[in-house]
Amino acid sequence: MKVKVIGIPVQDQSKALAFYTDKLGFIKKHDVPLDERNRWLTVVSKEEQEGTEILLEPSPQNFEPAKVYQKALFEAGIPYTQFNVDDVQAEFDRLRELGLEFSVEPTEMGTVKIAVFDDTCGNNIQIVQLL
Amino acid sequence: MGLPGFLRRPWNSVRFSILKAGTVMNLYKREIERIKRVCYSNDRQIATVIAARNFILNNFAAACSLETLSSRHFTSKFHFLRLFKKYYGLTPKQYLTMKRIEESKRYLKAGVSVAATCYRVGFDTPSSFSTLFRSRTGFSPLEFQKKQFSQSQSAPGSGTCCQ
Repeated sequence: MKVKVIGIPVQDQSKALAFYTDKLGFIKKHDVPLDERNRWLTVVSKEEQEGTEILLEPSPQNFEPAKVYQKALFEAGIPYTQFNVDDVQAEFDRLRELGLEFSVEPTEMGTVKIAVFDDTCGNNIQIVQLL
Repeated sequence: MGLPGFLRRPWNSVRFSILKAGTVMNLYKREIERIKRVCYSNDRQIATVIAARNFILNNFAAACSLETLSSRHFTSKFHFLRLFKKYYGLTPKQYLTMKRIEESKRYLKAGVSVAATCYRVGFDTPSSFSTLFRSRTGFSPLEFQKKQFSQSQSAPGSGTCCQ
């Protein structure tokens, strides 16, 4: 077994694609129309284009419990997932300049530094740097 | 629910923080503070393991023995070993091997020969390098290198990484 795809629930796939590529710097990998509303839409890290794909999945629109779960996590401030960066402070500065909102500013926690931002698609996302 | 209501009903603080998520103190931020207290309250230990990790990252190609690492931080070998593992989940030796394998992938992708890669990242013999590389990645160094080249040639737009 291999890890090829991990999913992130998004409320609006078009908006999510714009955010994850324009703001976060991911690159679109697959975009396959499934029906009039939904697409199989994946992005990859620019630095690891053969790496694990992120599926921007429209589950909150299609499955009520997914919507409820996403909302509860978001309101509790809990990140849906996390991405690794070399420098949390530099990434925080860059993203805030682009208008992103952070619920946790760069914080050292033992051997890691973390920050948490709102992905505007219904999720908190954590960035982490190993110290 | 406003602040006065919260003060009257402190047992309801978790719900309060959920309602006010993103503004002051949400559940996750509370957890961060709690885990900091529980796991990361010993600043000196943390400084020691962070310095040791940085030493490994900067000196992975040279010999990094447990003795060198522990004596740099004036601790006994075994105390240091336990500390490192406690904070990073790997022993210093495992961490060093992981770093060397990671670096070796970069050399192999750039077309450096297996033997040259082996010595550049600090392994003693190509055979021990190959064995470790295979156990971590599922491929021998040569297979890995060939796979990288065939992938970069077949994938449109990704050829630049190997030029």
